[in-house]
Amino acid sequence: MRTDEELMELYRKGSRDAFEELFARHHGKVIHFAYRMTGDQARAEEAAQETFLRIARAAFTWQPKAKFSTWMYTVARRTTLNFLRDEKEEGDKVPIPPGEEAWDGSPALQLRGPNALNPEEMAWSSEIQERFVEALQRLPETCRAAFVLNRGDGLSYEEVATVLGITTQAVKSRIFRAREMLMESLSGLLP
Amino acid sequence: MECRNLKESISASIDGEVSRAETRRIEEHLEGCAECRDLERKMRAIGTGVAMTEGIVPSDFRERLFARMEAEDLLPRRRSLFVFSIRWAAVPLAAAVALALFLLTSPEKGKDVVAPREQLPHVARGAPVTESGEAPASAGLPRVAAQRPPAVPVPGHEQLTPEDLEIIAHLDVLEDPSALDAPGDVDEMEILAPPGRRQG
Repeated sequence: MRTDEELMELYRKGSRDAFEELFARHHGKVIHFAYRMTGDQARAEEAAQETFLRIARAAFTWQPKAKFSTWMYTVARRTTLNFLRDEKEEGDKVPIPPGEEAWDGSPALQLRGPNALNPEEMAWSSEIQERFVEALQRLPETCRAAFVLNRGDGLSYEEVATVLGITTQAVKSRIFRAREMLMESLSGLLP
Repeated sequence: MECRNLKESISASIDGEVSRAETRRIEEHLEGCAECRDLERKMRAIGTGVAMTEGIVPSDFRERLFARMEAEDLLPRRRSLFVFSIRWAAVPLAAAVALALFLLTSPEKGKDVVAPREQLPHVARGAPVTESGEAPASAGLPRVAAQRPPAVPVPGHEQLTPEDLEIIAHLDVLEDPSALDAPGDVDEMEILAPPGRRQG
């Protein structure tokens, strides 16, 4: 089986099959990453589409020395960051604090008991996922990106450091900080 | 004091980012500290929660992306088998057409097709011959044939005298002896002997 880097090289030479293989391998990861970062399905889809378009446009400037997945997440992170900035400027997305009403006036989600958030022992319900995604959105972007890339996408601290352009020690600190803030936000859900 | 210093390391150990020595140190601490064990369990749950949080992959995601890429000319289009076959058949087909056109329009065609006899000055059999060696237009030939320009002269043929041409024009009489019996026809001796020679 060809590596991502070999497929990218073939795509640069005009192979459609190579790009289709790269897409098949990674499009799910990019969509999930964008969803964890934006907390919105529609924007995640659009950000993922834009990520692949940027990858294709930049294919000829890509350096084969770089690991493709690291580069892909760098592009994905910058793309979602742009979407988040656009949202902030447009003012059409404001986090809803727990317990408050949603924008459409509907009651806020009714959460389960204190043992609800134990994914290793129970099914991951859509309600809990929504609360979790909301909590993620309240994290500073750098902490969220580091935590999502490590725990969501399986990148090592070193790879996360490459994507974010920071040191490995800074990654370690940001992930710990993300955990602390999430534990505080979801204290009612944690076992 | 030790708990506060270890929290960040506990987080990193969950992610598999600490050395063996540090892992051993953390494990030893967790065995004797219920608060840190609780913290470690919550940290693991948070990490698992992120992994289980996923977006939805729409069924038309691929088609929408590839359509946008093709619109921007970022994705080579897949050729159908028919187009592929036509593409490869085009070269020999074009060569065959070019060869046919060449054969039909080549100036060499006349030499290959027209018989040598027709390259001689056109003279109607049995008709009076002019000094130029051409039959008059009223000699009973179709107008088009009678008016067409003289054929390309055969090398050496331009040296023939009008008398020679007259003999050539009546050679078919020799090929068909019955023509001699026709009344009012030319005399045999006149045919065989040019006028100048007869007089001498």
